[in-house]
Amino acid sequence: MPTPRSSPVPSLAVWDLPTRLYHWLQAVLVAAALAIGFLAPEWWMGVHVWLGYGVAGLIVFRLIWGVFGSQFSLFASFIHPPRQIWNHIRGLIEGRPPHAMGHNPLGALMVFAMIAVMAGIGVSGLLALGGVENQGPLAGFLGFSAGDIARKAHSILAMALLAMIGLHVLGVIVDSWLGRESLVRAMIIGRKRVPAGALLLNPRPARRRAATLAAICAGTAILIASSLAGMVPASGLIAMPRQAAYQEECGDCHEVYHPSLLPRASWSATMAGLENHFGEDASLAPETAQAITAYLDNYASEAWDTEAANRLRAVDGTAPGQISATPFWKRKHRQIEKSVFETKPLRGRSNCGACHRDAGSGRFDDQMIAIPAR
Amino acid sequence: MRSLLILPAVIALLATVDAEAGARQALLDGFATQAKAADSGFAGFSASRGENLFRTSFAGGKPDTPACTVCHTPSPLKQGETRAGKPIEPMALSASPDRYGDPKKVAKWFRRNCKSVLGRECTAPEKGDFITFMTGQ
Repeated sequence: MPTPRSSPVPSLAVWDLPTRLYHWLQAVLVAAALAIGFLAPEWWMGVHVWLGYGVAGLIVFRLIWGVFGSQFSLFASFIHPPRQIWNHIRGLIEGRPPHAMGHNPLGALMVFAMIAVMAGIGVSGLLALGGVENQGPLAGFLGFSAGDIARKAHSILAMALLAMIGLHVLGVIVDSWLGRESLVRAMIIGRKRVPAGALLLNPRPARRRAATLAAICAGTAILIASSLAGMVPASGLIAMPRQAAYQEECGDCHEVYHPSLLPRASWSATMAGLENHFGEDASLAPETAQAITAYLDNYASEAWDTEAANRLRAVDGTAPGQISATPFWKRKHRQIEKSVFETKPLRGRSNCGACHRDAGSGRFDDQMIAIPAR
Repeated sequence: MRSLLILPAVIALLATVDAEAGARQALLDGFATQAKAADSGFAGFSASRGENLFRTSFAGGKPDTPACTVCHTPSPLKQGETRAGKPIEPMALSASPDRYGDPKKVAKWFRRNCKSVLGRECTAPEKGDFITFMTGQ
C-alpha cells in the first residue's frame, strides 16, 4: 500500500465528512437545547422545540448513516463483543488501553447510549408538547396526563444526557491522553494515525446513493405523517361561543377571564358572592347573573384539557375564586419582580393579557408570553 | 348629491342625541318625583350637593373604595380606572356624551357603586344631584 510522502506517519481517513458534520452540529444543537431547556424563561420554548426537531433530524440521518455510511460510521463496525469491552476496561485500569481505529469499545457503548437517550428525549418532548402544550403534530392525540408523564421523562432523560455528555468528554480526554492522539482533532480533520504493525483492513466506502435515497424517503415520510397529524385539532381545547353578558358585565371592570381558568365550584361561589367581589359590590340583575353562572358552569376548567385548566384546577382553599392565589400561579410567577406587577400596563395580578398575548383563548402558550418593557 | 347623503346622517345623529337627552331628562324627572314623594319640601336638585357627594370620603362603604374619586379621579373630565386596571370613561357629560342615557345602566352603577362607597343605596335626591353636577361639567 503506498504511503503519502508528505506524512511521515501513516494515517487513515476514519471519520467521513457527514459523520463529522453530524457530530459537531449535534453538539451545538444539543448544547443550545439543553441550555434553553434548563436555564431560559418559558418564552424560549419555541426555539427549544425547533432545536429538538433539528436534533431529531440529525439522529434520523445518523441511523441511516449507521447502515449506509463508510466503514467506521457503520453501527456494525462498533458493536463489540463483551470480552473486548472487558479487555478494554482492564487495559484502561492498567493505563494501556488497546488501540482502536474507530470508536473504542467503551466509547462505542456511549455512542449507542447517547443516541438512544437523545431519541428518547425527542420522543418524550414531542409527547409532552402535544399533551401538555397542545402544540406540535401530536396535539390532537395526547391528553394532559399522558403529556405530563412524558414531560417528567423528558427532563429526567435530559439530566441523564447531561451526565453522559460529561462522561463522553472525560472519555475523550482520557483516551487522547493515553493514546497520545487528540480525538477532538480526529473528529475535526477525520484522520487518525495508524499504529505501526496495525493490520489495515480494507475500509468499506460509503453507499452515498443508498443513503440519499433512504434520507429522502425518511424525510418525506416524516413530513407527510407530521402534517397529516397536525391537521387533527388540539385535543385539549373545545369550541366555546362568546357570551355577550359575560363579556360585557365582567369586562366592564376587569379582564374577561377565560372560563377554563377556574373550576365550577370556584365560579359558582364567585357568582354567588358578587355583593362583595374582591372588595367591591359587583351584583348583577338576577337573570343576568343566572345566565353567566350557567355559561361558566358549562365552560369551567373541568371541560378543558389544557395546561392552564389542569394546573389551575387546584385552587387555594382560602381564596377559591382567585386565580392568582392558586399554588401553580404563584409558582409560575415567583421569579417576576414585584415592580412588573405594580406598573402599567399590569397594575396588579389580574391582567393576564398584559403578558400572555393569547390569554383570551385559554391556551397560554409559552411562546406567547411577552413581559412588557418598563 | 353629497348633501343629500349627509342630511339623513345628521338627522339620525340629532335623533339619537335627542333621544338620549330625552332619556336623561326623564331619568331626572323620575328621581324628582321620588324625592317629592319622600319629602314634600324637596326644592330641586343641586349641582354643588352632587359635587360634594362625588368628592366626600365615606366610612360606611368597602375599605378599598371610600370615595367616587378613588376610581373616577377627582376630575369628572378625566378618564378613570377600575381597581383591576380597566379604563373608565369620564363622568362629565361633556366628555362622555353617552352618559346617563340608559336608565338600566344608571340604575346598575348607582346600586353597586353607592353600596361600595357609602355602604348603602343612594337616595333619589342624591342620584339627581349627582347627575345634575355631571351634566353641568
